[in-house]
Amino acid sequence: MPRGWWLRRRDYFLYMVREFTALPLALWLLWFLVEVQRASNGPKGYAAHGSPAFVVFSVICLGFALYHSVTFLMLFGVVTHIKGVPSRVIVLSQFALWLVASVVVAAVLIGFGR
Amino acid sequence: MAEKRITIRTTRFDPEKDKAPRLQSYDIPFSDESMVVLDALNHIKAHVDGSLSYRWSCRMGICGSCGMMVNGVPKLTCNAFMRDYWPRSITVEPLQNFPIVRDLVIDMEDFMHKLKSIKPWIIRKQDYPLGAGEHRQTMDQIDEFRQFSECINCMLCYAACPVYGLNNEFLGPAATALARRYNLDSRDQGLKDRLPVLANAEGVWECSFVGECSVVCPKGVDPAKAIQQTKFDTTMRFLLPYGNRDE
Repeated sequence: MPRGWWLRRRDYFLYMVREFTALPLALWLLWFLVEVQRASNGPKGYAAHGSPAFVVFSVICLGFALYHSVTFLMLFGVVTHIKGVPSRVIVLSQFALWLVASVVVAAVLIGFGR
Repeated sequence: MAEKRITIRTTRFDPEKDKAPRLQSYDIPFSDESMVVLDALNHIKAHVDGSLSYRWSCRMGICGSCGMMVNGVPKLTCNAFMRDYWPRSITVEPLQNFPIVRDLVIDMEDFMHKLKSIKPWIIRKQDYPLGAGEHRQTMDQIDEFRQFSECINCMLCYAACPVYGLNNEFLGPAATALARRYNLDSRDQGLKDRLPVLANAEGVWECSFVGECSVVCPKGVDPAKAIQQTKFDTTMRFLLPYGNRDE
């Protein structure tokens, strides 16, 4: 296989993007752990890290996270085998669960923030 | 009106003369809208260069012999219509990820070995006696494995799989799909005989779910699904109490 095999076809490229998204997401989550540690001293000693570079990085990571989530959930119907249930129904139910989970997490975070 | 023509570029390789495969161009008439790439190769062999070597048989998408790379995509050449490419030229190469024997002919020994390794036949602990009549199945039981039984062993999925291209120890898509076809068959009791091949490091766990095997399959089989579901099943067998029991 030549080194540039993943540039030969669009599908190969999108697969590599899907695999690559894990790397910046892992970096962002590591940074998140650092922020949690910094916040452990209480609200008075904590100032959120808000440099423009970090905001740009976070927005890029959000895009990657959405891409990874959507592709993962779309493939979920391929992975899961439930007798009598079409793959399409499994995929749609996963997206619905994702939506519900997002609303719950947002409500909890906003609730604590107040 | 001038006759329509098309340029076909095919791989030529004679292991006794050539150091590496090369491309050769042929300018041939594109006289019929129903012409497929296999017709073009047959025209070249019959009228231009009789030494061109390639495999084919049924010419109707059943035998799985005429799989080649058509403009970089694995296709059955009997099912690749030239009208979809004309007026662009068409490049026909042997299926990638396999050694070349000559011209467009690949060495399929590795695939045949893998196919045999998953024991693609019904395995019974005790043979069903002939006198007992048919071993009947319900439609639901047949639907469980039907799509995986459509595989024609054309090997397009292996040519589309970069994981197999990078590591040809990988069991690969078609062999796993056929293993799943038998594992899901209500008449079969051979799961434990197939697991050592399916569940080892070069089996289903080597797959990183590129998914191209299912995209290129000319028969609508979903080998990616077979592989991922086998991963799931083997994990459940490992985790669940009594998961590893005899079937």
